[in-house]
Amino acid sequence: MRIMKKAFGRGLADLILIGIILGSIFPFLYMFLMSFRSTINAYDFSFSLDKFTLQQYIKIFQMDYFVNYVLNSVIVAVAGVLLTLTVCSLAGYAFAKMNFKGNDKLFLFLFLTLIVPSEVIIVPLFLITKGLGWLNTYQALILPLPTAFGVFIMRQAILDIPSDLMDAAKLDGCGNLQTLVRVVLPIVRGALLTLAIFTFVGAWNNFLWPLVACTRQEMKTLPLALSAMKTQYNTDVGLTMACAVINFLPPFLFYLFMQSKFKEGMTLGGVKE
Amino acid sequence: MKKKADIRKIEPYLYITPITLILVTFVVGSVLISIFLGFCKYNIITPPQFRGLGNYIKLLDDSKFIKALWNTIKLELYIVPLQMVSGLLMAVFLLANRKHLLGKIANCVIFIPFLCSNAVVGVVWRELLNGKFPPVEAFFGLFGIQPSMLLGDSKSALVVVAGVAIWRWMGYYTVIFLSGLMAISKTYYEAAKVDGAGKIRSFFSITLPMMKPTIIMALFLSITTALRNFELIFNLTGGGPNNATTDLVMYAYTLCFKSNSAGYAMAVSNVLFVLVMIAALFQKRLLKRESSEL
Repeated sequence: MRIMKKAFGRGLADLILIGIILGSIFPFLYMFLMSFRSTINAYDFSFSLDKFTLQQYIKIFQMDYFVNYVLNSVIVAVAGVLLTLTVCSLAGYAFAKMNFKGNDKLFLFLFLTLIVPSEVIIVPLFLITKGLGWLNTYQALILPLPTAFGVFIMRQAILDIPSDLMDAAKLDGCGNLQTLVRVVLPIVRGALLTLAIFTFVGAWNNFLWPLVACTRQEMKTLPLALSAMKTQYNTDVGLTMACAVINFLPPFLFYLFMQSKFKEGMTLGGVKE
Repeated sequence: MKKKADIRKIEPYLYITPITLILVTFVVGSVLISIFLGFCKYNIITPPQFRGLGNYIKLLDDSKFIKALWNTIKLELYIVPLQMVSGLLMAVFLLANRKHLLGKIANCVIFIPFLCSNAVVGVVWRELLNGKFPPVEAFFGLFGIQPSMLLGDSKSALVVVAGVAIWRWMGYYTVIFLSGLMAISKTYYEAAKVDGAGKIRSFFSITLPMMKPTIIMALFLSITTALRNFELIFNLTGGGPNNATTDLVMYAYTLCFKSNSAGYAMAVSNVLFVLVMIAALFQKRLLKRESSEL
Protein backbone atom coordinates (compact mmCIF):
# COMPACT_ATOMS: atom_id res chain seq x y z
CA MET A 1 0.00 0.00 0.00
CA ARG A 2 2.74 2.36 1.00
CA ILE A 3 4.82 1.46 -2.03
CA MET A 4 1.87 2.10 -4.31
CA LYS A 5 1.26 5.46 -2.72
CA LYS A 6 4.90 6.33 -3.21
CA ALA A 7 4.86 5.24 -6.84
CA PHE A 8 1.74 7.27 -7.42
CA GLY A 9 3.37 10.31 -5.85
CA ARG A 10 6.44 9.88 -8.06
CA GLY A 11 4.25 9.54 -11.14
CA LEU A 12 2.31 12.68 -10.26
CA ALA A 13 5.54 14.62 -9.65
CA ASP A 14 6.92 13.47 -13.00
CA LEU A 15 3.72 14.52 -14.70
CA ILE A 16 3.95 17.99 -13.17
CA LEU A 17 7.61 18.21 -14.15
CA ILE A 18 6.76 17.35 -17.76
CA GLY A 19 4.09 20.03 -17.63
CA ILE A 20 6.63 22.58 -16.40
CA ILE A 21 9.14 21.62 -19.09
CA LEU A 22 6.57 21.80 -21.88
CA GLY A 23 5.17 25.06 -20.55
CA SER A 24 8.63 26.61 -20.54
CA ILE A 25 9.73 25.59 -24.01
CA PHE A 26 6.52 25.22 -25.97
CA PRO A 27 6.57 28.73 -27.51
CA PHE A 28 10.18 28.19 -28.55
CA LEU A 29 9.37 24.83 -30.12
CA TYR A 30 6.67 26.60 -32.10
CA MET A 31 9.16 29.29 -33.08
CA PHE A 32 11.70 26.77 -34.37
CA LEU A 33 9.08 24.65 -36.08
CA MET A 34 7.55 27.57 -37.95
CA SER A 35 10.93 28.98 -38.95
CA PHE A 36 11.71 25.78 -40.90
CA ARG A 37 8.54 25.93 -42.97
CA SER A 38 7.94 27.54 -46.26
CA THR A 39 5.36 30.28 -46.41
CA ILE A 40 3.09 28.16 -48.57
CA ASN A 41 2.61 25.38 -46.09
CA ALA A 42 3.02 27.50 -42.93
CA TYR A 43 -0.50 26.71 -41.79
CA ASP A 44 -0.45 23.11 -42.86
CA PHE A 45 0.42 21.50 -39.58
CA SER A 46 0.97 17.94 -40.71
CA PHE A 47 4.38 16.85 -39.51
CA SER A 48 6.68 15.50 -42.14
CA LEU A 49 10.38 16.08 -42.46
CA ASP A 50 10.39 16.72 -46.19
CA LYS A 51 8.43 19.92 -45.66
CA PHE A 52 11.25 21.35 -43.57
CA THR A 53 13.25 23.95 -45.41
CA LEU A 54 15.87 26.58 -44.75
CA GLN A 55 14.33 28.95 -47.25
CA GLN A 56 13.16 31.40 -44.57
CA TYR A 57 16.71 31.82 -43.32
CA ILE A 58 18.00 32.38 -46.83
CA LYS A 59 15.20 34.83 -47.49
CA ILE A 60 15.78 36.80 -44.31
CA PHE A 61 19.44 37.41 -45.05
CA GLN A 62 18.43 38.73 -48.45
CA MET A 63 16.08 41.22 -46.80
CA ASP A 64 17.21 44.86 -47.05
CA TYR A 65 19.46 45.89 -44.17
CA PHE A 66 19.24 42.52 -42.41
CA VAL A 67 23.02 42.15 -42.38
CA ASN A 68 23.16 45.65 -40.86
CA TYR A 69 20.77 44.60 -38.10
CA VAL A 70 22.93 41.61 -37.19
CA LEU A 71 26.17 43.61 -37.32
CA ASN A 72 24.67 46.46 -35.27
CA SER A 73 23.49 44.06 -32.59
CA VAL A 74 26.91 42.40 -32.42
CA ILE A 75 28.83 45.69 -32.39
CA VAL A 76 26.63 47.23 -29.69
CA ALA A 77 26.71 44.16 -27.45
CA VAL A 78 30.46 43.55 -27.77
CA ALA A 79 31.43 47.20 -27.41
CA GLY A 80 28.99 47.53 -24.51
CA VAL A 81 30.65 44.62 -22.71
CA LEU A 82 34.17 45.99 -23.28
CA LEU A 83 33.20 49.49 -22.17
CA THR A 84 31.36 48.21 -19.10
CA LEU A 85 34.22 45.95 -18.03
CA THR A 86 36.75 48.75 -18.46
CA VAL A 87 35.00 51.59 -16.68
CA CYS A 88 33.60 49.35 -13.94
CA SER A 89 36.95 47.67 -13.16
CA LEU A 90 38.68 51.05 -13.00
CA ALA A 91 36.08 52.54 -10.68
CA GLY A 92 35.64 49.34 -8.69
CA TYR A 93 39.38 49.18 -8.05
CA ALA A 94 39.53 52.82 -6.96
CA PHE A 95 36.55 52.43 -4.60
CA ALA A 96 37.86 49.16 -3.17
CA LYS A 97 41.58 49.76 -2.70
CA MET A 98 42.40 53.45 -2.91
CA ASN A 99 42.08 56.00 -0.15
CA PHE A 100 40.78 59.30 -1.35
CA LYS A 101 38.53 62.02 -0.06
CA GLY A 102 34.85 61.32 -0.60
CA ASN A 103 35.32 57.64 -1.48
CA ASP A 104 32.21 56.43 0.36
CA LYS A 105 30.08 59.40 -0.54
CA LEU A 106 30.87 59.23 -4.26
CA PHE A 107 30.17 55.51 -4.27
CA LEU A 108 26.82 56.02 -2.60
CA PHE A 109 26.00 58.78 -5.08
CA LEU A 110 26.71 56.48 -8.04
CA PHE A 111 24.85 53.64 -6.37
CA LEU A 112 21.74 55.77 -5.97
CA THR A 113 21.43 56.12 -9.75
CA LEU A 114 20.34 52.47 -9.76
CA ILE A 115 16.99 53.50 -8.32
CA VAL A 116 16.07 55.17 -11.63
CA PRO A 117 14.42 52.68 -14.01
CA SER A 118 15.49 53.21 -17.62
CA GLU A 119 11.86 53.38 -18.77
CA VAL A 120 11.24 56.44 -16.61
CA ILE A 121 13.99 58.54 -18.22
CA ILE A 122 13.49 57.51 -21.82
CA VAL A 123 12.18 60.93 -22.94
CA PRO A 124 14.94 63.09 -21.35
CA LEU A 125 17.56 60.56 -22.47
CA PHE A 126 16.27 61.02 -26.00
CA LEU A 127 16.52 64.81 -25.60
CA ILE A 128 20.12 64.60 -24.29
CA THR A 129 21.16 62.32 -27.12
CA LYS A 130 19.46 64.55 -29.64
CA GLY A 131 21.16 67.59 -28.10
CA LEU A 132 24.55 65.91 -28.49
CA GLY A 133 23.68 65.14 -32.12
CA TRP A 134 24.02 61.43 -31.46
CA LEU A 135 20.70 60.06 -32.72
CA ASN A 136 21.29 57.13 -35.06
CA THR A 137 24.88 56.60 -33.89
CA TYR A 138 26.64 53.72 -32.19
CA GLN A 139 27.74 55.85 -29.25
CA ALA A 140 24.09 56.57 -28.45
CA LEU A 141 23.44 52.83 -28.17
CA ILE A 142 26.67 51.92 -26.38
CA LEU A 143 27.58 54.72 -23.94
CA PRO A 144 24.48 54.49 -21.71
CA LEU A 145 25.02 50.74 -21.16
CA PRO A 146 27.35 50.71 -18.09
CA THR A 147 25.55 51.03 -14.77
CA ALA A 148 26.58 51.56 -11.17
CA PHE A 149 25.73 47.94 -10.73
CA GLY A 150 28.88 46.87 -12.53
CA VAL A 151 30.95 49.14 -10.28
CA PHE A 152 29.32 47.51 -7.28
CA ILE A 153 30.13 43.99 -8.52
CA MET A 154 33.75 44.84 -9.26
CA ARG A 155 34.20 46.69 -5.97
CA GLN A 156 32.86 43.72 -3.99
CA ALA A 157 35.13 41.29 -5.85
CA ILE A 158 38.24 43.44 -5.47
CA LEU A 159 37.59 44.12 -1.76
CA ASP A 160 38.09 40.40 -1.13
CA ILE A 161 41.64 40.43 -2.50
CA PRO A 162 44.26 40.69 0.29
CA SER A 163 46.10 44.00 0.09
CA ASP A 164 49.44 42.20 0.57
CA LEU A 165 49.24 40.95 -3.01
CA MET A 166 48.95 44.47 -4.35
CA ASP A 167 51.67 45.76 -2.07
CA ALA A 168 53.96 43.05 -3.37
CA ALA A 169 53.24 44.13 -6.94
CA LYS A 170 53.98 47.72 -6.02
CA LEU A 171 57.29 46.74 -4.42
CA ASP A 172 58.16 45.20 -7.76
CA GLY A 173 57.67 48.60 -9.26
CA CYS A 174 54.16 48.26 -10.71
CA GLY A 175 52.04 51.39 -10.80
CA ASN A 176 48.36 51.28 -9.89
CA LEU A 177 47.23 50.63 -13.41
CA GLN A 178 49.76 47.85 -13.90
CA THR A 179 48.75 46.28 -10.60
CA LEU A 180 45.12 46.39 -11.69
CA VAL A 181 45.77 44.76 -15.05
CA ARG A 182 48.41 42.22 -14.00
CA VAL A 183 47.38 41.24 -10.48
CA VAL A 184 43.81 42.25 -9.73
CA LEU A 185 41.91 41.48 -12.94
CA PRO A 186 43.18 37.88 -13.28
CA ILE A 187 42.02 37.18 -9.73
CA VAL A 188 38.52 38.62 -10.25
CA ARG A 189 37.95 37.01 -13.66
CA GLY A 190 34.88 35.21 -12.28
CA ALA A 191 33.23 38.53 -11.47
CA LEU A 192 34.31 39.92 -14.86
CA LEU A 193 32.68 36.98 -16.64
CA THR A 194 29.48 37.37 -14.63
CA LEU A 195 29.35 41.08 -15.43
CA ALA A 196 30.13 40.39 -19.10
CA ILE A 197 27.22 37.95 -19.41
CA PHE A 198 24.86 40.31 -17.61
CA THR A 199 25.85 43.21 -19.88
CA PHE A 200 25.88 41.20 -23.11
CA VAL A 201 22.39 39.83 -22.65
CA GLY A 202 21.08 43.22 -21.55
CA ALA A 203 22.57 44.94 -24.59
CA TRP A 204 21.57 42.21 -27.02
CA ASN A 205 17.98 42.19 -25.80
CA ASN A 206 17.69 45.96 -25.36
CA PHE A 207 14.58 47.22 -27.08
CA LEU A 208 13.08 50.49 -25.83
CA TRP A 209 16.25 52.60 -26.04
CA PRO A 210 17.25 51.55 -29.59
CA LEU A 211 13.61 52.02 -30.61
CA VAL A 212 13.83 55.65 -29.52
CA ALA A 213 17.44 56.41 -30.44
CA CYS A 214 17.55 54.85 -33.90
CA THR A 215 15.08 55.86 -36.54
CA ARG A 216 17.18 55.11 -39.61
CA GLN A 217 16.88 51.58 -40.99
CA GLU A 218 20.61 50.95 -41.25
CA MET A 219 21.13 51.71 -37.52
CA LYS A 220 18.43 49.40 -36.18
CA THR A 221 19.20 46.31 -34.12
CA LEU A 222 17.77 42.79 -34.35
CA PRO A 223 14.98 43.13 -31.75
CA LEU A 224 13.72 46.23 -33.57
CA ALA A 225 13.78 44.35 -36.87
CA LEU A 226 11.81 41.51 -35.33
CA SER A 227 9.25 43.87 -33.89
CA ALA A 228 8.84 45.72 -37.20
CA MET A 229 8.20 42.49 -39.10
CA LYS A 230 4.70 42.16 -37.74
CA THR A 231 3.53 45.13 -39.73
CA GLN A 232 5.76 44.88 -42.77
CA TYR A 233 5.55 41.19 -43.48
CA ASN A 234 2.29 40.38 -41.82
CA THR A 235 1.54 37.24 -43.73
CA ASP A 236 4.93 35.64 -43.45
CA VAL A 237 4.94 33.86 -40.10
CA GLY A 238 7.88 31.66 -41.08
CA LEU A 239 10.08 34.64 -41.85
CA THR A 240 9.15 36.36 -38.58
CA MET A 241 9.96 33.22 -36.63
CA ALA A 242 13.30 32.84 -38.42
CA CYS A 243 14.13 36.37 -37.27
CA ALA A 244 13.02 35.44 -33.73
CA VAL A 245 15.32 32.41 -33.79
CA ILE A 246 18.31 34.57 -34.77
CA ASN A 247 17.44 36.95 -31.92
CA PHE A 248 17.11 34.05 -29.53
CA LEU A 249 20.20 32.00 -30.34
CA PRO A 250 23.19 33.92 -28.90
CA PRO A 251 21.93 34.21 -25.29
CA PHE A 252 20.57 30.67 -25.51
CA LEU A 253 23.85 29.15 -26.72
CA PHE A 254 25.79 30.97 -24.00
CA TYR A 255 23.30 29.61 -21.49
CA LEU A 256 23.75 26.05 -22.73
CA PHE A 257 27.51 26.23 -22.25
CA MET A 258 27.71 28.01 -18.92
CA GLN A 259 24.45 27.49 -17.16
CA SER A 260 25.35 28.24 -13.55
CA LYS A 261 27.49 31.28 -14.36
CA PHE A 262 24.67 32.51 -16.52
CA LYS A 263 22.02 32.19 -13.84
CA GLU A 264 24.33 34.00 -11.46
CA GLY A 265 24.89 36.81 -13.94
CA MET A 266 21.25 37.24 -14.84
CA THR A 267 19.88 37.22 -11.32
CA LEU A 268 22.56 39.58 -10.00
CA GLY A 269 20.17 42.48 -9.93
CA GLY A 270 18.17 40.72 -7.27
CA VAL A 271 20.87 40.09 -4.75
CA LYS A 272 22.41 43.51 -4.52
CA GLU A 273 22.10 44.13 -0.83
CA MET B 1 59.00 64.87 -6.50
CA LYS B 2 56.06 67.07 -5.65
CA LYS B 3 54.54 66.54 -9.05
CA LYS B 4 54.51 62.81 -8.50
CA ALA B 5 52.65 63.25 -5.21
CA ASP B 6 50.05 65.37 -6.99
CA ILE B 7 49.45 62.66 -9.54
CA ARG B 8 49.00 60.17 -6.71
CA LYS B 9 46.32 62.38 -5.25
CA ILE B 10 44.27 62.78 -8.38
CA GLU B 11 44.81 59.25 -9.65
CA PRO B 12 41.78 57.68 -7.90
CA TYR B 13 39.55 60.41 -9.32
CA LEU B 14 40.80 59.63 -12.81
CA TYR B 15 39.75 56.01 -12.30
CA ILE B 16 36.21 56.88 -11.36
CA THR B 17 35.80 59.69 -13.90
CA PRO B 18 34.59 57.62 -16.90
CA ILE B 19 31.70 55.89 -15.13
CA THR B 20 30.82 59.06 -13.22
CA LEU B 21 30.66 61.04 -16.47
CA ILE B 22 28.44 58.40 -18.06
CA LEU B 23 26.04 58.18 -15.12
CA VAL B 24 25.91 61.94 -14.51
CA THR B 25 25.25 62.70 -18.18
CA PHE B 26 22.70 60.00 -18.89
CA VAL B 27 21.01 59.26 -15.56
CA VAL B 28 21.39 62.31 -13.31
CA GLY B 29 21.07 64.63 -16.30
CA SER B 30 17.90 62.85 -17.41
CA VAL B 31 16.33 63.04 -13.97
CA LEU B 32 17.05 66.78 -13.69
CA ILE B 33 15.73 67.48 -17.20
CA SER B 34 12.67 65.39 -16.48
CA ILE B 35 11.91 67.28 -13.27
CA PHE B 36 12.40 70.66 -14.95
CA LEU B 37 10.57 69.98 -18.23
CA GLY B 38 7.73 68.30 -16.34
CA PHE B 39 6.77 71.86 -15.40
CA CYS B 40 6.90 73.04 -19.01
CA LYS B 41 4.95 72.88 -22.20
CA TYR B 42 7.48 71.45 -24.63
CA ASN B 43 7.10 69.92 -28.07
CA ILE B 44 10.87 69.46 -28.80
CA ILE B 45 10.73 71.84 -31.81
CA THR B 46 9.98 75.18 -30.11
CA PRO B 47 11.64 76.25 -26.80
CA PRO B 48 9.94 75.06 -23.60
CA GLN B 49 7.43 77.39 -21.93
CA PHE B 50 7.20 77.30 -18.17
CA ARG B 51 3.73 76.30 -17.02
CA GLY B 52 4.22 75.64 -13.31
CA LEU B 53 2.02 72.80 -12.17
CA GLY B 54 -0.03 73.01 -15.37
CA ASN B 55 0.93 69.56 -16.65
CA TYR B 56 0.19 67.91 -13.34
CA ILE B 57 -3.19 69.60 -13.01
CA LYS B 58 -4.01 68.47 -16.55
CA LEU B 59 -3.19 64.88 -15.55
CA LEU B 60 -6.05 64.82 -13.06
CA ASP B 61 -8.51 65.53 -15.87
CA ASP B 62 -6.93 63.30 -18.48
CA SER B 63 -9.04 60.18 -18.89
CA LYS B 64 -6.26 58.46 -20.88
CA PHE B 65 -3.80 59.07 -18.05
CA ILE B 66 -6.26 57.73 -15.47
CA LYS B 67 -6.75 54.67 -17.63
CA ALA B 68 -2.98 54.16 -18.03
CA LEU B 69 -2.48 54.55 -14.28
CA TRP B 70 -5.28 52.09 -13.61
CA ASN B 71 -3.81 49.62 -16.12
CA THR B 72 -0.45 49.92 -14.38
CA ILE B 73 -2.06 49.19 -11.01
CA LYS B 74 -4.05 46.30 -12.49
CA LEU B 75 -0.87 44.79 -13.93
CA GLU B 76 0.68 45.00 -10.45
CA LEU B 77 -2.33 43.30 -8.91
CA TYR B 78 -2.34 40.51 -11.50
CA ILE B 79 1.40 39.95 -11.64
CA VAL B 80 2.88 40.39 -8.16
CA PRO B 81 0.82 37.92 -6.08
CA LEU B 82 0.89 35.21 -8.76
CA GLN B 83 4.58 35.69 -9.36
CA MET B 84 5.37 35.33 -5.65
CA VAL B 85 3.20 32.27 -5.03
CA SER B 86 4.08 30.44 -8.23
CA GLY B 87 7.80 31.20 -7.90
CA LEU B 88 7.90 29.96 -4.32
CA LEU B 89 5.92 26.79 -5.06
CA MET B 90 8.04 26.13 -8.12
CA ALA B 91 11.25 26.52 -6.11
CA VAL B 92 10.02 24.17 -3.36
CA PHE B 93 8.86 21.64 -5.94
CA LEU B 94 12.07 21.76 -7.98
CA LEU B 95 14.20 21.52 -4.84
CA ALA B 96 12.34 18.36 -3.82
CA ASN B 97 12.86 16.88 -7.31
CA ARG B 98 16.37 18.13 -7.98
CA LYS B 99 17.91 14.65 -7.93
CA HIS B 100 15.65 13.31 -10.68
CA LEU B 101 16.46 13.69 -14.34
CA LEU B 102 13.17 15.42 -15.17
CA GLY B 103 13.72 17.76 -12.23
CA LYS B 104 17.14 18.69 -13.58
CA ILE B 105 15.75 19.33 -17.03
CA ALA B 106 12.90 21.44 -15.63
CA ASN B 107 15.37 23.42 -13.53
CA CYS B 108 17.36 24.15 -16.68
CA VAL B 109 14.60 25.01 -19.15
CA ILE B 110 12.48 27.10 -16.82
CA PHE B 111 15.10 29.84 -17.10
CA ILE B 112 15.01 29.99 -20.92
CA PRO B 113 12.09 32.44 -21.25
CA PHE B 114 14.02 34.92 -19.14
CA LEU B 115 17.07 34.80 -21.43
CA CYS B 116 15.44 36.06 -24.54
CA SER B 117 14.41 39.57 -25.34
CA ASN B 118 10.93 40.90 -24.73
CA ALA B 119 10.69 41.35 -28.48
CA VAL B 120 11.07 37.59 -28.99
CA VAL B 121 8.68 36.75 -26.16
CA GLY B 122 6.08 39.25 -27.35
CA VAL B 123 6.21 38.36 -31.03
CA VAL B 124 6.31 34.58 -30.49
CA TRP B 125 3.40 34.62 -28.05
CA ARG B 126 1.38 36.85 -30.33
CA GLU B 127 1.94 34.50 -33.25
CA LEU B 128 1.32 31.48 -31.07
CA LEU B 129 -2.04 32.80 -29.90
CA ASN B 130 -3.09 34.06 -33.32
CA GLY B 131 -1.53 31.27 -35.39
CA LYS B 132 -4.41 28.77 -35.32
CA PHE B 133 -1.89 26.13 -34.22
CA PRO B 134 -3.94 23.00 -33.44
CA PRO B 135 -2.33 22.10 -30.06
CA VAL B 136 -2.76 25.69 -28.85
CA GLU B 137 -6.35 25.83 -30.04
CA ALA B 138 -7.04 22.51 -28.33
CA PHE B 139 -5.40 23.62 -25.06
CA PHE B 140 -7.39 26.85 -24.82
CA GLY B 141 -10.45 24.98 -26.08
CA LEU B 142 -10.41 23.02 -22.81
CA PHE B 143 -11.34 26.29 -21.09
CA GLY B 144 -13.79 27.30 -23.82
CA ILE B 145 -11.48 30.06 -25.06
CA GLN B 146 -10.53 30.87 -28.63
CA PRO B 147 -6.86 31.97 -28.38
CA SER B 148 -6.95 34.27 -31.39
CA MET B 149 -9.60 36.39 -29.65
CA LEU B 150 -7.54 36.97 -26.50
CA LEU B 151 -5.29 39.83 -27.61
CA GLY B 152 -7.96 41.61 -29.62
CA ASP B 153 -10.47 41.78 -26.80
CA SER B 154 -10.05 44.75 -24.47
CA LYS B 155 -11.28 42.63 -21.55
CA SER B 156 -8.71 39.87 -21.87
CA ALA B 157 -5.69 41.61 -23.46
CA LEU B 158 -4.30 42.98 -20.18
CA VAL B 159 -4.66 39.57 -18.53
CA VAL B 160 -2.70 38.01 -21.39
CA VAL B 161 0.06 40.64 -20.97
CA ALA B 162 0.21 39.81 -17.25
CA GLY B 163 0.24 36.08 -17.99
CA VAL B 164 3.11 36.36 -20.47
CA ALA B 165 5.06 38.55 -18.01
CA ILE B 166 4.59 35.96 -15.25
CA TRP B 167 5.65 33.20 -17.65
CA ARG B 168 8.78 35.08 -18.71
CA TRP B 169 9.93 35.88 -15.15
CA MET B 170 9.06 32.49 -13.64
CA GLY B 171 12.61 31.11 -13.93
CA TYR B 172 14.09 34.27 -12.46
CA TYR B 173 12.03 34.14 -9.28
CA THR B 174 12.52 30.41 -9.02
CA VAL B 175 16.30 30.90 -9.00
CA ILE B 176 16.03 33.60 -6.34
CA PHE B 177 13.74 31.52 -4.13
CA LEU B 178 15.84 28.40 -4.69
CA SER B 179 18.97 30.15 -3.43
CA GLY B 180 17.00 31.26 -0.36
CA LEU B 181 15.70 27.73 0.24
CA MET B 182 19.12 26.14 -0.08
CA ALA B 183 20.47 28.49 2.60
CA ILE B 184 18.09 27.02 5.20
CA SER B 185 19.93 24.47 7.28
CA LYS B 186 18.58 20.91 7.06
CA THR B 187 18.80 20.50 10.84
CA TYR B 188 15.64 22.59 11.28
CA TYR B 189 13.65 20.19 9.15
CA GLU B 190 15.14 17.17 10.89
CA ALA B 191 14.24 18.60 14.29
CA ALA B 192 10.70 19.30 13.09
CA LYS B 193 10.41 15.74 11.81
CA VAL B 194 11.44 14.38 15.21
CA ASP B 195 8.75 16.55 16.74
CA GLY B 196 6.25 14.94 14.38
CA ALA B 197 5.63 17.88 12.07
CA GLY B 198 4.44 17.03 8.53
CA LYS B 199 5.72 18.56 5.32
CA ILE B 200 3.03 21.23 5.13
CA ARG B 201 3.51 22.16 8.78
CA SER B 202 7.29 22.51 8.28
CA PHE B 203 6.68 24.68 5.21
CA PHE B 204 4.62 27.15 7.20
CA SER B 205 6.63 27.11 10.42
CA ILE B 206 10.18 26.77 9.07
CA THR B 207 10.41 27.57 5.35
CA LEU B 208 8.24 30.69 5.26
CA PRO B 209 9.72 32.43 8.34
CA MET B 210 13.28 31.64 7.31
CA MET B 211 12.59 32.89 3.79
CA LYS B 212 11.18 36.21 4.95
CA PRO B 213 14.14 38.39 3.85
CA THR B 214 14.24 36.66 0.44
CA ILE B 215 10.50 37.03 0.04
CA ILE B 216 10.60 40.74 0.90
CA MET B 217 13.38 41.29 -1.61
CA ALA B 218 11.60 39.31 -4.33
CA LEU B 219 8.34 41.10 -3.57
CA PHE B 220 9.82 44.52 -4.25
CA LEU B 221 11.67 43.31 -7.31
CA SER B 222 8.38 42.04 -8.58
CA ILE B 223 6.61 45.32 -7.79
CA THR B 224 9.20 47.40 -9.64
CA THR B 225 9.55 45.07 -12.62
CA ALA B 226 5.77 44.87 -13.05
CA LEU B 227 5.90 48.62 -13.72
CA ARG B 228 8.27 47.96 -16.59
CA ASN B 229 6.34 45.94 -19.13
CA PHE B 230 6.58 48.41 -22.00
CA GLU B 231 8.58 46.12 -24.29
CA LEU B 232 6.20 43.20 -23.84
CA ILE B 233 3.14 45.37 -24.33
CA PHE B 234 4.64 47.03 -27.40
CA ASN B 235 5.23 43.67 -29.06
CA LEU B 236 2.08 41.88 -27.90
CA THR B 237 -0.60 44.49 -28.41
CA GLY B 238 1.03 47.85 -29.13
CA GLY B 239 -1.00 49.26 -26.22
CA GLY B 240 -4.35 48.40 -27.77
CA PRO B 241 -7.07 47.48 -28.29
CA ASN B 242 -8.48 50.91 -27.50
CA ASN B 243 -5.68 51.62 -24.96
CA ALA B 244 -6.72 48.60 -22.92
CA THR B 245 -3.08 47.60 -22.38
CA THR B 246 -1.51 51.08 -22.32
CA ASP B 247 0.38 51.50 -19.08
CA LEU B 248 2.15 54.66 -17.86
CA VAL B 249 5.40 54.01 -19.78
CA MET B 250 3.49 53.29 -22.99
CA TYR B 251 1.37 56.43 -22.51
CA ALA B 252 4.46 58.61 -21.97
CA TYR B 253 6.09 57.05 -25.03
CA THR B 254 3.03 57.74 -27.18
CA LEU B 255 2.75 61.31 -25.89
CA CYS B 256 6.36 62.13 -26.70
CA PHE B 257 6.95 60.24 -29.93
CA LYS B 258 3.50 60.21 -31.50
CA SER B 259 1.86 63.43 -30.26
CA ASN B 260 4.94 65.64 -29.73
CA SER B 261 4.04 66.46 -26.12
CA ALA B 262 7.44 65.85 -24.55
CA GLY B 263 6.84 68.07 -21.52
CA TYR B 264 3.56 66.41 -20.68
CA ALA B 265 5.13 62.98 -21.31
CA MET B 266 7.78 63.75 -18.69
CA ALA B 267 5.09 64.73 -16.18
CA VAL B 268 3.57 61.28 -16.74
CA SER B 269 6.96 59.54 -16.30
CA ASN B 270 7.58 61.57 -13.15
CA VAL B 271 4.41 60.15 -11.62
CA LEU B 272 5.79 56.67 -12.33
CA PHE B 273 9.14 57.68 -10.86
CA VAL B 274 7.46 58.79 -7.64
CA LEU B 275 5.72 55.39 -7.44
CA VAL B 276 9.10 53.64 -7.87
CA MET B 277 10.68 55.81 -5.18
CA ILE B 278 7.86 55.08 -2.74
CA ALA B 279 8.32 51.35 -3.35
CA ALA B 280 12.10 51.64 -2.84
CA LEU B 281 11.77 53.59 0.42
CA PHE B 282 9.18 51.16 1.68
CA GLN B 283 11.47 48.23 0.92
CA LYS B 284 14.40 49.84 2.72
CA ARG B 285 12.19 50.37 5.77
CA LEU B 286 10.99 46.78 5.79
CA LEU B 287 14.45 45.32 5.31
CA LYS B 288 15.88 47.50 8.06
CA ARG B 289 13.17 46.36 10.46
CA GLU B 290 13.81 42.80 9.40
CA SER B 291 17.53 42.94 10.13
CA SER B 292 17.03 44.68 13.48
CA GLU B 293 14.67 41.90 14.52
CA LEU B 294 17.26 39.24 13.88
